[in-house]
Amino acid sequence: MYAADVGPQYEGERIRKNEFQVEFGGPDVSHKGELVTVKGLGEVEHEKITVSGPDLKDLPEGFSGPLFIKVEVAGEELEKDLEAVLERRIHQYINYIEGVFHMAQRYDIWIRIHKNSFKKGLNSLEQIGRILIDLFTAELPVIEKMSVEFITDPAKVQNLLVEALKVYKERDERIKGLREEDVDEFYGCVLCQSFAPTHVCVITPERVSLCGAINWLDGRAATKVDPEGAQFAIPKGNLIDLVNISYDNVNQVVTERSMGETTRFSLHSALSYPHTACGCFEAIVFYIPEVDGFGIVSRDFAGPSVTGDPFSTLAGSASGGKQNEGYLGIGIQYLTSPKFLIADGGFNRVAWMSSALKEAAVENLPPELAGKIATEKDVQNVDELTEFMQNAGRL
Amino acid sequence: MQKMRDAEIKAIIRAEDAWEPVGPTPMPTLTELRNWDFRLLNTYEPFYAPFCDLCCLCTYGKCDLTGNKKGACGIDIASQQARWILICSLMGTAAHGAHGRHMIDHLIEKLGEDKKIDLGSQVNVEAPIIRTVMGLKPKTLGDLRKAIEYVEREMIHLVSATHMGQEGDYRDFESKAFHAGMLDHVALEAADIAQIVGYGLPTSVADTPLVDLGWGAIDRTKPTIVVVGHNAVTANAIIDYLRSNDLYDQVEVGGLCCTAHDVTRYAGGAKVIGPLSRQRFFLKAGLADVVVTDEQCVVTDIPQLAKAAGAAMIACSDKICYGLENASARETGEILRAVLEEQKQFLILDPEKAAEVIVRAALELAPKRRAQKQLVTKEEGAMLAAKCRGTCEECNRVCPNLLPVSLGVSQARHGNFAKLGELFMRCHGCAKCEEACVNHIPILRLMQAAATWETYKMRSGRGPIHDVEIRKVGSPIVLGTIPGVVLFAGCSNFPGDIDDLAWLAEELARRKFIVTLSGCAAMAAAMSKDAEGKTIYEKYIPEFDAGCIVNVGSCVSNAHVVGAAIKIANIFAGLPNRANFELMSDYILNRVGACGVVWGPYSQKALAIGTGAVRWGIPIVLGPHGSKYRRLFMSKKEAGDWTVVDGRTRQLVDTAEPTPEHMMLVTETKERALVTIIKQCFRRNDTPPGRAIKLNSYISAYKQVIGGLPDDLQNFIRTEKEIPIVYKREVLAYLKEAGWQPKPVLSLPTIIGTYETKVPIEATIK
Repeated sequence: MYAADVGPQYEGERIRKNEFQVEFGGPDVSHKGELVTVKGLGEVEHEKITVSGPDLKDLPEGFSGPLFIKVEVAGEELEKDLEAVLERRIHQYINYIEGVFHMAQRYDIWIRIHKNSFKKGLNSLEQIGRILIDLFTAELPVIEKMSVEFITDPAKVQNLLVEALKVYKERDERIKGLREEDVDEFYGCVLCQSFAPTHVCVITPERVSLCGAINWLDGRAATKVDPEGAQFAIPKGNLIDLVNISYDNVNQVVTERSMGETTRFSLHSALSYPHTACGCFEAIVFYIPEVDGFGIVSRDFAGPSVTGDPFSTLAGSASGGKQNEGYLGIGIQYLTSPKFLIADGGFNRVAWMSSALKEAAVENLPPELAGKIATEKDVQNVDELTEFMQNAGRL
Repeated sequence: MQKMRDAEIKAIIRAEDAWEPVGPTPMPTLTELRNWDFRLLNTYEPFYAPFCDLCCLCTYGKCDLTGNKKGACGIDIASQQARWILICSLMGTAAHGAHGRHMIDHLIEKLGEDKKIDLGSQVNVEAPIIRTVMGLKPKTLGDLRKAIEYVEREMIHLVSATHMGQEGDYRDFESKAFHAGMLDHVALEAADIAQIVGYGLPTSVADTPLVDLGWGAIDRTKPTIVVVGHNAVTANAIIDYLRSNDLYDQVEVGGLCCTAHDVTRYAGGAKVIGPLSRQRFFLKAGLADVVVTDEQCVVTDIPQLAKAAGAAMIACSDKICYGLENASARETGEILRAVLEEQKQFLILDPEKAAEVIVRAALELAPKRRAQKQLVTKEEGAMLAAKCRGTCEECNRVCPNLLPVSLGVSQARHGNFAKLGELFMRCHGCAKCEEACVNHIPILRLMQAAATWETYKMRSGRGPIHDVEIRKVGSPIVLGTIPGVVLFAGCSNFPGDIDDLAWLAEELARRKFIVTLSGCAAMAAAMSKDAEGKTIYEKYIPEFDAGCIVNVGSCVSNAHVVGAAIKIANIFAGLPNRANFELMSDYILNRVGACGVVWGPYSQKALAIGTGAVRWGIPIVLGPHGSKYRRLFMSKKEAGDWTVVDGRTRQLVDTAEPTPEHMMLVTETKERALVTIIKQCFRRNDTPPGRAIKLNSYISAYKQVIGGLPDDLQNFIRTEKEIPIVYKREVLAYLKEAGWQPKPVLSLPTIIGTYETKVPIEATIK
């Protein structure tokens, strides 16, 4: 079908320095990038694949240079907000190709093509374009038209990058500024009900799914692409609890989807009607009564947390689709949300975090608190934590 | 009677311990899981292929059972086959059970019955099988002895059922064989936990050391002790003796079969010589100064092999006495003198005494045996083969692997050892060719001139899968996005090259399966290197995660892979496992895409392991020699009953998809095995994205190794969303031609509720 085999089994392949035929981007190449743009149906020539500049077969073995991948898509259902979601698929699909690896995204891409795949006949970027169009349109029928251009000409890449950087910035500002109040719809996910039958995940612009894999835009894209799938839209309804942040329609959907197990969700509290969890959470917030504060520990934290319980024990209390006050499973990105545990006092209520998590949250931490939240480097148990909190003037 | 038994069980399992409520089947007896077994057998009917259609077990016979004939006792041929399966499974269970009993008794004697079980910070659910089957959370070595006592108690009833004029229905024999298999797993788990605790073997560590494997790894300049078998009590005592006498670096200790695994878990400097199939070859090579046997899968002519090689030989297990004089009560010096001066072989049941005799004998013998450690050269080999004309082909006719031995030997006569070298890689070492050779050519010795003497790296066995690993992979396994967990177990008597297993393991790992190996299979998988000279253990991360390869350890470590499947239901999904066999098995059958592969199913132990796995809901793929067990469990595919209860609606739903398709089947080639293993990991619970990933693996592997699209895709694609995007157009066209119809996708499928059971349907939903 294609010169090189294609499939998810090739994701994660690594191609070493002496193994690549051609390399694009990466740390030693200053100009590189990829951009997906949603256009009008009349503006995209379907299945057009262009290579501007030298192609794989024209480049010497071991060549390293610039590349820009410009993808244009059109479809009745497509909207501007989906561009970032679609762009991430470039990474996924290029990695499906045997002997091709793609790392990072946007202005930071790094692509290598293995000598063996080149020898097998993968000698033109046009073939990669063909694979991309086939996979995009097979997986996402909302894409009615798609064109791909590979630019290897250094001057052109440089110019395209300048424009693309503006687009990335605009996108970031839009999602960063997006609040729950600005949208009418949240998204739900019940993918994990196969092992946590009563769990429902609610995804808002300020609350990423607890597995960390689905943000509000992803949820939006998923419901468009696959309306029958595990993700679905939740018209949020009316805000019925201003403190704990609870919406009437969200509660109704949660009641239905949890088979009546849970009837009320606070979107930003670990203490009052907390959001349930399946078991996939990246981190767990747990209440420590001795300091009237929270600890937060991530999945990859080895050994016991400050209370003596390791992640695995805490996970038992937080998971299984059961509402358990004092335990909340979260995605790590939630640490950077403006509404992070806002009902419980936000970071003012956090007493202990594993150091890796503290680093991840640093942007969102009020500067005056940065030195006053303990990590495993500061304290080993609750007694030491109590002393730490007292010394910090927080108890 | 029942009341008395209930009270006894409560006391044994400390029912008042509140870690979980006691489920419906604590310490089940022969009939308590019978309904579950029959439910499985309704879908996966036994397929019998008798070797022998006579019954010769009692003096009423022998009875011809062909056609519709019955034996004098009334037994028919299906029941007779099932009876053999039960007998063979019991042999396997007894071997592991007795191993566990010996190990635990020995360790209790050394450390006391209150020695605590602590498997490290990463393993809290220490004994998922014992917890599930018995309802006991073992805390001490004494508790592990309770597990073995339970196995022993049940076995007496099972053995009794095989007597003439007892059980008379094949399905009940199969149910009892399942019981034997499940008990086998209890014994495996008890034995491995005991040795981990008692000997301080690695636990809660994934990155265990890489150890040397291969006959070439043995340093011939040093005194060499070779331990053969599966129970490392004496092997570990040898290591202790060497360490305490400052001799550890001066003596080579190598193992054949699972003792090799366990002794390298205990001492990283020990060597793994190879799997079962290399016992005879290696011992004939004469590199061992002292040969030590313990138990299970030890070739029974070791005393003669050792004698012929001029090596000393000590038997250390009451299961294998070889007619030797029991010297356990004699003075060490006296035994040693007889060993060295009279070349006497002894049975020594005291491990410490045996260790001293063995080490001292090796030190004395090694300088005198230098000449006997010289391998056959090509010139000598040509002379040994000189009488072969390559015409009688007696050797070919007796070879169980149908190898062209005569061609190899006759070419060796002319100094060309290439063919013989190839044969060696497929040889089981049974030596039937030597026996048949009219010219008495020592063919196995001849192979010394042809065999590769390369050294390989194998990761030493790591024991239990960690609870945190289960948390990480639980979700993707149940959703189906990790396409499966595969265990390669069993022996090394497969008909292909020795590198079949490495090939299969790597094909699956690169498709993001979690690959685990144990026993001789784990060794065989190490005996293959890539272009850069690396084995799979050097190339893949040793974690229980997608695309990783884990050696769990010896035969008894098989328990940890079944344990991992239980832990997914227990730790990850939060279902209670205490005395809850059906709940756990139902979860595994419907939701955990696990598959066992016994590519070289030589022993009765392998049969017991496989039969037990089926009761847990884990399908087994056997290699070609597996057909010699004469029984498979195969469904009628799309024509079978695939009805489940949808836990969400409590309604019966005909899923119309045969998953898992079969519970035990034979595949003839490694290529067919690959696609079959992938397919056996499909589960009814797969989400559409998960099934798409599994189907992608299936189709891509099928195209790669067989060619074209599989002809049964219509059975496994439930909605269009499940069609892998890479093959979408092609598959859609095929489905149209095949008249495919969409099928329901359920998120809570269960067969609880489709048969009579004490388990309420509500228990499956938590």
